[in-house]
Amino acid sequence: MRRFVPALALMLVATTAAVAGETVSITLPPESIALKAGPGMDQAQTACRMCHSLDYITTQPGGGAAQWQGVVTKMMKVYGAPISEPDVKLIEEYLATHYGPR
Amino acid sequence: MLSRRQFLLAAGATAATTLAGRSSAFAADVDPLLAGRPLVRYPEKTDLILLTARPPQLETPLSYFDRAITPNDAFFVRYHIFPIPTSVDLDQWRLEIKGHVDKPLSLSMDDLKKFPRASVTAVAQCSGNSRGRFAPRVLGGQWGDGAMGNAVWTGARLQDVLKAAGARSGALDVTFDGLDKPAFPTVPDFVKALDVQRIMNDPDVIVAYEMNGQRLPMLNGFPARLVVPGWYATYWVKNLSEITVLTDRFEKFWMKPGYRIPDTPCGCVEPGTAPKSTVPITRMTVRSFIAAPANGSRVAANQPVTLKGIAFDGGYGVREVQISDNLGATWSRATLGADHGRYSFREWSATWKPTGTGTTRLMVRAFNGIGESQGSEPLWNPAGYLRNVIEQITLVVA
Repeated sequence: MRRFVPALALMLVATTAAVAGETVSITLPPESIALKAGPGMDQAQTACRMCHSLDYITTQPGGGAAQWQGVVTKMMKVYGAPISEPDVKLIEEYLATHYGPR
Repeated sequence: MLSRRQFLLAAGATAATTLAGRSSAFAADVDPLLAGRPLVRYPEKTDLILLTARPPQLETPLSYFDRAITPNDAFFVRYHIFPIPTSVDLDQWRLEIKGHVDKPLSLSMDDLKKFPRASVTAVAQCSGNSRGRFAPRVLGGQWGDGAMGNAVWTGARLQDVLKAAGARSGALDVTFDGLDKPAFPTVPDFVKALDVQRIMNDPDVIVAYEMNGQRLPMLNGFPARLVVPGWYATYWVKNLSEITVLTDRFEKFWMKPGYRIPDTPCGCVEPGTAPKSTVPITRMTVRSFIAAPANGSRVAANQPVTLKGIAFDGGYGVREVQISDNLGATWSRATLGADHGRYSFREWSATWKPTGTGTTRLMVRAFNGIGESQGSEPLWNPAGYLRNVIEQITLVVA
């Protein structure tokens, strides 16, 4: 029996060291969602993707122009999304046209 | 009064048959809300329903809610901002406790584990779970019903940690920040606050480093997360790194205007209207679900079927679960499973014998320890929070 004791002690030391030095790393899968083609798609993708994936758009309930204007305004005023004035109009129209009531 | 289809109320009746019907991993075929949402496999996770990829938001298929404990790899994921941590070295990680304290602390994981171990079995549920079912629809994450899970959380009591740091008199709010950081300085960092008294009066609020006996998955908050039993998961800050004691109220974005409900007894307003004033969302409402058989399944007439599911509330414990097969005209008591404490999912089962043929709706409702229950009409608020309408599934009896 006695000769197992040092082995057990070594095992305990090794286990403790493994826990103390533990690094956990993950790799997130790529984003795969695409937007519907149409005028303004590029601008919408560029602006929205700065902060989030495009499924944030595609999973929302379809809403009219007022809904998407509200969303774009919120993204700019609340989160500070830097979108130029011409792009704002284009993106709002694109979203209302392609992700409107369904 | 006897219903047309009679319930056999004995728990675990041996006559129950296994269902031969469909058992899709998620019932997208009968749930239009989930149609088109792919099942995806993220690191340390099994197949979950994708809501969004960046920041990741993953939903647990309803089939997991036939049991009290949700497996770590099936537990839902919800982040607010990006980037989120994807690598944490425990040699480097520290939990800072600072602000209005006598002795600021910088705790390693070993330090945190020196505090007395405390465990609580508790439901984490997103405030907006089931938001996609609101009518009129509301903006925000369009969750089905799977932004919830129940686990045994083990860690250090937050009150022990605060005592060690010596929170001074005059302390009012305590804030919690994690390793997730905004992409732009203009995006508000995700920081949440609890009243210091809320913490000091509740030994079940813990800084958890274990989930169901394992380290936390990265996407559920490795290496440590806050656990606030009974309250919505918005407070359960993940990948925790900083705890700050303040002498004033913390009212930044994710506390105000974020995560607030109408200041009315029901937390609701007339559908489509705006509340006059709001308060922070806190305690969870009573909910219950039928997880098996899956919605839309086929069952055989005259053969007993075992119904299974879970019920929970915001900390008073589930006292009773009831089933109806006649649109709520009469209700029959289900049998409750093991009691894992007042913050946990409570498993329930009932044996039901369909006698006719055709489509049948089954409904479930729960009552908690103070008599709160669920309504037949959904309550509405503009953020899509607190949903707790009576849930139902449809079975095809053939």
